[in-house]
Amino acid sequence: MAHTQDKSSALGQGVVIFVYLTILTITEYFVAVSFNAASLLVVMAVIKAALVMYYYMHIYKLNEESRDGEHSYAYKTGTNRLGLWLFLLSDGFVFAGLLVMRANLLGLTRPHLNQMLGLAVTAVLLISSFFMNRGETAMKYGDRKEFMKNTLITFVLGLGFLIGVVFVEWRLAADEGLVASFGNPSVGPLGGVFYMMTGMHAFHVFTGLIFLGVVWNNARKGVYSAEKHWGVEAAAVYWHFVDLVWIFFYPALYLIGTAVQ
Amino acid sequence: MKGFFSSALARGLFWQVIGTLVGAGLVTGIRALMGLSATDTFFFTEPAWVLGGFTGTLFFLVGSGVTADWIKWMRGIDTPDHHEDHHTGAAKYINVSLDHKVIGIQYTLVALVLIAVGGLFALIFRTELAASELQFLTTDMKLFGQNGPQLYNTLMSLHGMIMIVSILLGIAGIMNYVVPLLLGAADMAFPRLNAFSYWIAVPAAVLLLSSLVLGGFDTGWTGYPPLSARAPVGMQMFFLGVFVAGWSSILGSLNILVTVVRMRARGMNAMRMPILVWASIATSLIALTATQFIGLSFQLVMFQRLFGMGFFDPAKGGNPVLFQHLFWFYSHPAVYVFILPGLGVISELLPVFVRKPLFGYRWIAMSSLGIALVGFLVWAHHMFTSGMNEYLRVPFMYSTLLVAVPTGVKFFSWVATIWKGRISTPTPMLFVLGGIIVFLLGGLTGPPNATISTDLHLHDTYFIVGHFHDTIFGGFVFPFFAAIYYWFPKATGRRMNETLGKLHFWLMTPSFFVLTFGMMYIGLIGMRRRIADYDPALGIDGAHLVLTIAAFLIATSVLIFFYNFINSIRNGEKAEGNVWNSRSPEWQVPSPMPAHNYERPFEVVGEPYDYGLNDSGFVKFIEEPAKGKH
Repeated sequence: MAHTQDKSSALGQGVVIFVYLTILTITEYFVAVSFNAASLLVVMAVIKAALVMYYYMHIYKLNEESRDGEHSYAYKTGTNRLGLWLFLLSDGFVFAGLLVMRANLLGLTRPHLNQMLGLAVTAVLLISSFFMNRGETAMKYGDRKEFMKNTLITFVLGLGFLIGVVFVEWRLAADEGLVASFGNPSVGPLGGVFYMMTGMHAFHVFTGLIFLGVVWNNARKGVYSAEKHWGVEAAAVYWHFVDLVWIFFYPALYLIGTAVQ
Repeated sequence: MKGFFSSALARGLFWQVIGTLVGAGLVTGIRALMGLSATDTFFFTEPAWVLGGFTGTLFFLVGSGVTADWIKWMRGIDTPDHHEDHHTGAAKYINVSLDHKVIGIQYTLVALVLIAVGGLFALIFRTELAASELQFLTTDMKLFGQNGPQLYNTLMSLHGMIMIVSILLGIAGIMNYVVPLLLGAADMAFPRLNAFSYWIAVPAAVLLLSSLVLGGFDTGWTGYPPLSARAPVGMQMFFLGVFVAGWSSILGSLNILVTVVRMRARGMNAMRMPILVWASIATSLIALTATQFIGLSFQLVMFQRLFGMGFFDPAKGGNPVLFQHLFWFYSHPAVYVFILPGLGVISELLPVFVRKPLFGYRWIAMSSLGIALVGFLVWAHHMFTSGMNEYLRVPFMYSTLLVAVPTGVKFFSWVATIWKGRISTPTPMLFVLGGIIVFLLGGLTGPPNATISTDLHLHDTYFIVGHFHDTIFGGFVFPFFAAIYYWFPKATGRRMNETLGKLHFWLMTPSFFVLTFGMMYIGLIGMRRRIADYDPALGIDGAHLVLTIAAFLIATSVLIFFYNFINSIRNGEKAEGNVWNSRSPEWQVPSPMPAHNYERPFEVVGEPYDYGLNDSGFVKFIEEPAKGKH
């Protein structure tokens, strides 16, 4: 079982999953550029999402029975965990709604965007998830220093993603005419869909960064221990959820369909 | 009065005003620097009002102190699990409390206030409709920057949404107060989130009502673009208010779900949970997930208005029908959010007053989930005339008719429960029976709307209005009143006056039948909904006059209720024991309930509704077993 392993094999599992996710992302990219198979891209995104949900977000922990009483930290963590997952389910509906909007308004077309930049920010977010997993694993074994180091890397990468999308990609997209397309009937609602989807996701990245900053600061104060670190787990699961959303948004915006200008 | 000004409510409202000014001022300043116009008809420009509404809400939440513990947690400071309320009496209810019972009552009180406001709006436009042609909402009059017919539209639209928010708060009030007591829990799973869910609804109500004075809006509660894309700035306040109220609903249902899963008493397995708990699960599942869709659809229109993103503008390649899909994906299941707790209250109370086991417990429990599930598959029946793809019509017609199956299960179970029972009819039971009959009427008038061929004629007529009011009165209003009469002694230790309660019922019910039958009748003749005036040649002036009188009679009956409610808090007959002779755990201890609920935990040892059977307890308090209780 994943949760009874020792520290090095837990970290090793994180590496293996990261390698899988990397291979799948690269494959996705080449599938998209060489032959336009939307359904294949969807299947690969689902596989990636399943890997993230199981190995990085530890969804199986929802099933964990606590042998301690109702007032124990372990039991309360189980309660908090269920609450967090229900919140993510609810939040997931926002993103599902945005995907429905994208499918309805754009169909098999997509905005013309900088592919290299898209791949780069996707890679940055994926790597940040890897370090987040390392950080959480470190905290689970009580290694506060290691946790803080990895969380800091995650934070920097997350900030890099945010800057890449909001300050670089949005500007490049504006140069491609996506802002102007707000009022241009011949292009359709490409710009609106692009800015709305990336904007909603960027907002979640932003809140995730705040969350990371808070747990980093609390770890510095020595609030967390190997037994009691629900805040860390929550921040990690939320961060992976933000990555999970991008697993679907990346193909939806950059890969599926043909680019129109 | 001094107590009021230092209360969380007053502080929150004060900070909401400050926050609105800060947000709006910020946008105005930036616009001035960019050389754009800084002011508009309603002083601030539309973007300024939108950001102001948003920051006002945030300021309210921080200013009222409901987020204080979270801010401490963020700084790494631990807080005790529970805070004792240091307020007593009425002050408890205008300050932040973490006690689910106080929060439940807070929800209920705000719901009652909003019912009064929404009802007042209805009376105003109902009076205008009493005769054809415009009488007092004329084109000459001017109020809040709107002329008479525009004001009519605003009041009619706000009536819809204010009532919807009131219903959401009302069911949250019942669920908050009762569900933890039924489960034997000391509180909800997340007491701070629970307080937050309540307090966020207050700025939401303020935002909604502010749309009235900011130019109003004329779209009805549905806010369809393209009309909503060019309505006055009040539209944005409406969108923002609904969005914020939606978060109240989402977070409240999350809390209910976790509480039910994690905090049940020993021995309370799934098939021994009270029906109201099952109904709360079903309703919470819908509210938790689907609410995001109405939030999203309204956000998209907000962005379309602010930035010109043409999501729903055909001229810019957008699709107005997409809005309707997103909107109804929540707003149809939403009506099941409204009625499921009410139907749960009916199932909960019925066996108490007929002294018989609830017939078909499992079927009733599962039918709630069935309604919730099917409810997700029927949304497009609101769009038969909207120009959506034709092939979608028939599947949605059949899925809609399918709703009748789980609902029918409930009716058969209720009738079988009543059958040969020893019926007594105190006020709560009257409202339960009234609810069943009215909801039956609402159910029977549903299929003509679900069937495409008839709906093409009935769509957007008063028939729909009549049908809708039947379902909501039967599914929410009657059970809500029943719940208040029933649990009032639990909350206060006193009973509400029976005579006034019966007067309330016997005045409201016949008037209500006249009202909705009349609505359906004029609808069939050709009265359109949402219009300020109608053609005298339709010959329905007399019918409209009767409807208006009926509406005022209903209002009178609700006023009697309000008087009874307020008066009974102080002067009601003392009732500290098991007033209704119920088996439910909350009635096995004296009223009013102490702060942390049960002093001794209980264990579930039997079925919840085995009334009239010997030696069949439902719960047993641990340590001191109940002696010879039947």
